[in-house]
Amino acid sequence: MSKKDTGLPAEIKAKFKSDVRVQKEQRIWISIESNKLIEMCKWFKERGFLHLSAISVTDWLEKGVYELTYHIWSYDEKILITIKTTIDRKKPVILSVTPIWNENAQIHERELHELFGVKFEGNQDLSPLFLENWEGHDPFRKDFNWREYVRDEFYDKENERERVYYD
Amino acid sequence: MVKRSEKAKTMRKLIKAIWIFNWFNSCGFAELVPLVGSRWDMERFGMIIVGTPRHADVLFIAGYQTHKSLERAKRVYEQMAEPRVVIALGSCTMTGGMYWDSYNTIKRLEDYLPVTMYIPGCPPRPEAVFEACEKIFEHVKELE
Repeated sequence: MSKKDTGLPAEIKAKFKSDVRVQKEQRIWISIESNKLIEMCKWFKERGFLHLSAISVTDWLEKGVYELTYHIWSYDEKILITIKTTIDRKKPVILSVTPIWNENAQIHERELHELFGVKFEGNQDLSPLFLENWEGHDPFRKDFNWREYVRDEFYDKENERERVYYD
Repeated sequence: MVKRSEKAKTMRKLIKAIWIFNWFNSCGFAELVPLVGSRWDMERFGMIIVGTPRHADVLFIAGYQTHKSLERAKRVYEQMAEPRVVIALGSCTMTGGMYWDSYNTIKRLEDYLPVTMYIPGCPPRPEAVFEACEKIFEHVKELE
């Protein structure tokens, strides 16, 4: 494949004044404030980034933030863009991208709502995806003490075979 | 001797061959494939895997069970006709296996379903599975 400069990084920088890092051709990382995210996603969608590969959350406990990562892909230009944004982990609310990518975003947002408790405003259906009858803490948060939870939920201290889990 | 043959008669009335319904999570079936293949070939004993729990005598459960899959396993169990046998394979169903400290998998299957027999091992040897199936015939009276 011939190497060519698409001019995309410069274009993004000029339009959104965001931090753009070009790892290599076709692999671009962007950091942006959460309030500009929707505007940027809309712009990318119109530019041909039709595929939202994944949304993920990183829990930075010390910093007190959730880092949301959106991977988007253009079939025409064959460029993978990663957009990163941070939100407060005490009040994790962000606008949904389902109006932009529809079902493509739906499954990821449902998952993250279930596992991290991120509230995606504008998403119509944030019902549980994997867990059923779950009434505990959001399980993927770093401050969820799952060992303690498992001990209380599943093991019996009186049972000789299982006492080892309490030592 | 006499007692045993009586038992055998009852057994023949109730179960002639073992028909199996599989409920496998994670690596469950991959570990039991040798049983189906030509080397250990369970069909020579009349054991076949059926497509619906309504036709099955034995329910094989293997792999870790999550709360979600367990609800489905219960429904499968409820559809089976009596006498029914639940055989739990592998260490996952006994202790949680390598998921012993996972928050969404169950640790002891007998807390949720009436397990007739456990076959330990990770995975259990095919010979052990055959031995367990043989024991079903011995215990068939107790199942009533």
